[in-house]
Amino acid sequence: MSYPPQQPPYGQQPYPPQGQPYPPQGQPYPPQGQPYPPQGQQQYQQAYQQTQAAMQMPPQGQFGAPLPQAAGGAGPTVHDVNSLPVNDNVNPYAFSVDLNGSYYLQKGKMIAYYGEIRFSGIGRGVIDQMLERNFNSPLHASDWVVAEGRGKLLLADRAFDLNSYDLENGNLTVRSGNLLAFEPTLQLKQSIIPGFLTLIGTGKFVAASNGPVHFVEPPIRVDPQALVGWADCPAPCHHYDHSYMHGLIGGLRHLTGLGGASGEEHQFEFIGAGQVLLQSTETLMAERSVGQVHAEAGVPGSGVPHQPGGHGGQQLPNVNVPGLGNVNLGDLGRRFGF
Amino acid sequence: MPFTKINNKMIEAKVFPGQRLFSQRGAMLAYTGEVTFKPNVMGGQGGVMSMIGRRVANEDTPLMTVEGQGSVMFGHGGHHVHVIDLAGDTLCVEADRLLAFDGTLQQSTMFMGQQGGVMGIVRGQVTGQGLFTTQLTGQGSVAVMAHGGVIELPISPGQPVHVDPQAYVAHRGQVTNKLSSALGWRDMIGRGSGEAFQLELSGHGMVYVQASEVKL
Repeated sequence: MSYPPQQPPYGQQPYPPQGQPYPPQGQPYPPQGQPYPPQGQQQYQQAYQQTQAAMQMPPQGQFGAPLPQAAGGAGPTVHDVNSLPVNDNVNPYAFSVDLNGSYYLQKGKMIAYYGEIRFSGIGRGVIDQMLERNFNSPLHASDWVVAEGRGKLLLADRAFDLNSYDLENGNLTVRSGNLLAFEPTLQLKQSIIPGFLTLIGTGKFVAASNGPVHFVEPPIRVDPQALVGWADCPAPCHHYDHSYMHGLIGGLRHLTGLGGASGEEHQFEFIGAGQVLLQSTETLMAERSVGQVHAEAGVPGSGVPHQPGGHGGQQLPNVNVPGLGNVNLGDLGRRFGF
Repeated sequence: MPFTKINNKMIEAKVFPGQRLFSQRGAMLAYTGEVTFKPNVMGGQGGVMSMIGRRVANEDTPLMTVEGQGSVMFGHGGHHVHVIDLAGDTLCVEADRLLAFDGTLQQSTMFMGQQGGVMGIVRGQVTGQGLFTTQLTGQGSVAVMAHGGVIELPISPGQPVHVDPQAYVAHRGQVTNKLSSALGWRDMIGRGSGEAFQLELSGHGMVYVQASEVKL
């Protein structure tokens, strides 16, 4: 129940013994297997072997100091093309994709690669036909590139924690800035909720989060900044804390900020079957501009008023109230109940 | 013990009717059940005089009261979270570092100036603590934020602990807090070691140190 479970009471703990032996060095340099790729590309293979020969790792401890080792004996692992994981995390902050074909990735998330990989911007060249099947979000096209070829591709994003997610005939909506890469078997679409992207189909994608991702089951209310995404939830909606916001005082508080706000009057509420993905902090990744959706009535965020002059209730004009700036009277009216 | 650690940047707190929690405003990540969040104008416990004291001491981090029934997850700013269980003893921590704490704990503001005179003022400047710090006493849990992970160093009589002022997070127990300086002529010409000031903690207790020199 209590954290941490095996905590000795303070003061009783003996001073940590000094002169502890340095962790044993048992980390052999990774065996050099056959270079990648196994077939063809003689030139690349030769170059690779030469590099490895030139980079002969000095034996450990040659310069008096042992190589830095983490506690527990697991030192910094030296990876080569064969020891890099296949479609898995190298560490919490880097992800290795075993590329054979094509992969979509957001610009600037590739940190290194082995092999023959071409990166081409979306919307140019011959891959447009493939795009028609997978990339149904033209507003985001300028943020994405297609990696094509064979090799190992390393992805990372500002030391955020990366996770890969497997979808099987499912759907998952994720904050657009948090998505790094996805397999072309998935379809990328723009969510109705602005700033989010929906992935549909079967395949794997990689997303970042500030701190490890925590999965929760609805019903739950989530701070907007802590939300990474959600899977299968049919009803993401806004929740306003009514008991605090209602009435004249609440309205004035909301408008002026006087009297303080808890900062938690507004949440996203999720109901229904599914999972909600939380990041453990409220620091967001820089929001990428996702452009404007097409101006069309009924599309949120498109800047077109909902049903102008229709039967959605009488539209109250915007009035400049001195001292309060441009106040939407319709909003105020609803708040005060007239 | 209402706080459960979910991962190193996130805690979960169970809220029951009749019990309340204080947390930093805007630090709620998600909640289930019926929980209300009310801004706490007073900035914590005590009456109006405590509030004025906190304002004067610049220890008036905006807090909110969490009440109701359910479970709430807290996290803030991508900082690591460390849960400290108090059993009747005292924790001294800077108010900005408080993520959440039990309503059962007594909160007070402590003047640090009497510990060390002029050096106390210098210490306040160097550590960013100012002359005042927040004290929590009683039975309950405190969630403290730190940049990077937190390590705990025990302080026992005769074995003082020296801490970089910027890496200092909090301390508990009967601890005297003194700034020791190793200023030399090198520091005057800008060739110092960068470790001219150290916080010397002596007495009996524990000090919490973050693995970073970034202040919150």
